[in-house]
Amino acid sequence: MTETRWDVAPGDRPGISVSEQGTFSGFFVYTIGLLLAVILTITSFWVANTSVLWTPGVPAGLVVLAIAQMGVHLVFFLHITTGPDNTNNILALAFGVLIVLLVLGGSIVIMANLNENMAAHTEPMNLQMQH
Amino acid sequence: MNIAVGVDDVHEGELVNTSEAGPAPKRIVVSYGFWIFLLSDIVMFSALFAGYAALARATAGGPTGSQLFNQQTVAMETAFLLLSSYSCGLMSLAINSRGYFGTFLGAGVTFLLGAAFLSLELREFATMIAIGATPQRSAFLSAFFTLVGCHGLHVAVGLSWLVLMMIQLAMRGFSPVVERRLHCFSLFWHALDIIWVLIFTVVYLMGVVP
Amino acid sequence: MNLLGKLSWSAIPVHQPIIMGTVACIGVIILAALAWVTAKGSWLYLWREWLTSVDHKRIGVMYLVLAMLMLVRGFADGIMMRTQQAVAAGGAQGYLPPEHFDQIFSAHGTIMIFFVAMPLVIGLMNFAVPMQLGVRDVAFPTMNSISLWLTASGVLLTNVSLAIGEFAKTGWVAYPPLSELQFSPGVGVDYYLWSLQIAGIGTLLSGVNFVTTILKLRAPGMGYMRMPVFCWTALATNLLIVAAFPVLTALFAMLLLDRYLGFHFFTVNAGGNAMMYVNLFWIWGHPEVYILALPAFGIFSEVSATFSGKPLFGYRSMVGATMAICVLSYTVWLHHFFTMGASASVNAFFGITSMLIAVPTGVKIFNWLFTMYGGRVRFTVPVLWTVGFMVTFVFGGLTGVLLALPAVDWQVHNSVFLVAHFHHVIIPSVLFGCMAGYNYWFPKAFGFKLDERWGAASFWCWFIGFHLAFMPLYVVGLMGMTRRLQHYDVLSWQPWLLAAEAGAVVILAGIVCQIVQLVVSIRAREQLRDTTGDPWNGRTLEWSTASPPPAWNFAMLPHVGEIDAFWAKKQRVHARQERSVQRREYEPIEVPKNSPTGFVTAFFAVLTGFALIWHIWWMAGVGLLGAAVTLLCFMFRVEDEVEIPAEQVALFDQSHPVEISL
Repeated sequence: MTETRWDVAPGDRPGISVSEQGTFSGFFVYTIGLLLAVILTITSFWVANTSVLWTPGVPAGLVVLAIAQMGVHLVFFLHITTGPDNTNNILALAFGVLIVLLVLGGSIVIMANLNENMAAHTEPMNLQMQH
Repeated sequence: MNIAVGVDDVHEGELVNTSEAGPAPKRIVVSYGFWIFLLSDIVMFSALFAGYAALARATAGGPTGSQLFNQQTVAMETAFLLLSSYSCGLMSLAINSRGYFGTFLGAGVTFLLGAAFLSLELREFATMIAIGATPQRSAFLSAFFTLVGCHGLHVAVGLSWLVLMMIQLAMRGFSPVVERRLHCFSLFWHALDIIWVLIFTVVYLMGVVP
Repeated sequence: MNLLGKLSWSAIPVHQPIIMGTVACIGVIILAALAWVTAKGSWLYLWREWLTSVDHKRIGVMYLVLAMLMLVRGFADGIMMRTQQAVAAGGAQGYLPPEHFDQIFSAHGTIMIFFVAMPLVIGLMNFAVPMQLGVRDVAFPTMNSISLWLTASGVLLTNVSLAIGEFAKTGWVAYPPLSELQFSPGVGVDYYLWSLQIAGIGTLLSGVNFVTTILKLRAPGMGYMRMPVFCWTALATNLLIVAAFPVLTALFAMLLLDRYLGFHFFTVNAGGNAMMYVNLFWIWGHPEVYILALPAFGIFSEVSATFSGKPLFGYRSMVGATMAICVLSYTVWLHHFFTMGASASVNAFFGITSMLIAVPTGVKIFNWLFTMYGGRVRFTVPVLWTVGFMVTFVFGGLTGVLLALPAVDWQVHNSVFLVAHFHHVIIPSVLFGCMAGYNYWFPKAFGFKLDERWGAASFWCWFIGFHLAFMPLYVVGLMGMTRRLQHYDVLSWQPWLLAAEAGAVVILAGIVCQIVQLVVSIRAREQLRDTTGDPWNGRTLEWSTASPPPAWNFAMLPHVGEIDAFWAKKQRVHARQERSVQRREYEPIEVPKNSPTGFVTAFFAVLTGFALIWHIWWMAGVGLLGAAVTLLCFMFRVEDEVEIPAEQVALFDQSHPVEISL
């Protein structure tokens, strides 16, 4: 039987057989991941509380830091890589991310739009066409 | 497994394309299935997040997030959960090298940290309820308790699962079934920490930004 | 503290003769079935071979049985509505009081979508996909069984609402604030919510199962572009299930929290926002209709290629169109609530995406037409359903493109024009497709074909009846008739509604023909026997097995070298380039062990659901505990596989010779 190169299971480290994954290199991967995550977390808390930054930019900054930290988790704890044996795992993840963005983004835009149009007005409603 | 390989169209020494190699080994199948399930769980959380985003300002005259959220508690919860993810990773290393002591130690630390996270969260909820900030008070609070509570429920389920896995490990040793299930647990636990990153960012940190 | 929560004798609707008559009928049928099984002494057989089976073929058959039974119930609801609307004109009140009528239209929609269409497509996918992929079973067979039985639990709970309590009166979408406790204080909405939550878990698990199976378990040599198109549509469908059903789960959880614990997600006070329910519901709801339609499209692909004797035209564009529909279906949902108040630019965006999604579907129609063009088409019953679909669905889809324009939609939203549109797309695609699939795969499942004449009769009754029943609704919708009316004052609508009623009666004849077809075929099964395993001269791998196949499907997993590998092999054998049956050495085969986990979990799910509906908290606790214990037993079981000895495999092959095997 010819040699078969299988995809890697999600969460396994690519390129290494399962039994070889218990070595020191694995320990370093997790530790570096932890350090990066700690740095990003502390930075997030700082960003949320500091008055140094331009206030409207704070939520965007927090989102970027959160995405970065989720990436750290994916790469260092879940061993997601871009190798060809990881393609199925990445595609599934990408599909999930797409759906999450559509659900969240779509809902936020739609609900904001609806709330604005359908909110109760205390003053008489402007019935003229809005441009 | 019975695989018949045709002799006419595959050359010796050539790597078979993965997509044509036939049914994948069980570890891959089980892990991938659990990965897909986790993605469905994340979609469910995104629906709860969407609900929270729509209702975050609907405080109905009641308490707001900035009035209720205690950043120190959140920081400690985050630290506990992140460290438990780390200890879970170390547990995975021990499992891969079939080390019983490392596995039980990693599991124990993960459990304790996870339980510490849960107890802090339960205390936070209890404090809020005691001052009248109940989920029945406003839509914002309903959404908050549901989103954060759902995550906490997942943590609780995870902790129970961990205990059961340790019992099964003690009974059956590192059989393939046990290894696959432990691997699924670690996927679950890391995913929970990923969701928590979003929760502490969107709910708590953005909630206290004026 | 009342031991039975809100449950009391007054829950049984003794003062409603129509309901009591229905309950009596159902009760008689169930008792007759139980008596028949007992008389034949088949309980042990039923338990061992069917109820605890984890075999995808058996599970598929059980899904279809469930679906067909619920089709009768759902259709009964439909024809009751048609009859009511045919007579309740002017001052007449008809025979159904509003309280009852409201439950009927709610139950009709709920049952048809969740308990007819979903089980039909999931059942057919269950039956065919693993065999088409050339493997022995799905990735997670026991979970497959759990999915089936959780769906059955939802069915049971919904039907129990007939006899004990009431069903929702909110329509099948259950919009708040009407579905909130304040305006629906009874148990109806709770029956709806718990039935669907339980069934929804089953469906989600199915989605996970099939995505994993299609992506990770295929025969050697079967790369992605060698899969049958039905497997591609199954993949897209199950990806959509995984992507959409969690939203419904979260949504129903929110409504349940509102109703049970006084939360304020969608209430009129304390900041609730009912519009968010509508938004989240249709984020699920639109992918749902593609979940239903895509497998049907896959069946049409298989049928048109097989009975034209030609390969499917445009395989790659078919795959591309399928995956495009999969993604695009998640970008159109707002067209279900154009009138809820979003601004023109938001409406326009979703109007454009809704029109865009017609394009890949059009690609598919052309591909089917080109498949049949130039082929020697055999007009078997599956082909009748396929052609019927093509001529009907195109027009239904066109009314959808009409509705995609917000300006048009504002005129006809919530009129019966809309009702006509969605029946005009769902019935040709899902129902006709599943009837085609049912006729197509029946010989594989049971070893004999279905009677052609009664099958053709049922098709023509459905085709004519459908048009007679729903085309008048377009007219009367444009005349201004709103949907869900228990009575109306505009007498000029009545002739059209009488025509629609006639159509419903013709459809009833179609359903009767299908029942007769089954009975006649069973009685004539020896004449209709399929002896070769390949009654249609098929192209895909399932036709290389015996009819019915053994539990293990293939004695040796086929090695696949191209698309339609079975067809290619047949051509080479007939051209004397290869021998038909190779001598083989048989090896023992491990098959997954049957398990009562699914059935028992479902029993506790029903118990829990019923208890929660009636606020019997201790019973709910018992049910949850029971379900947890069942899962624990499964988790700690020792043996999960049974080994079939090589001799048994050899014996089956020798006593069920097939002409050509891979």
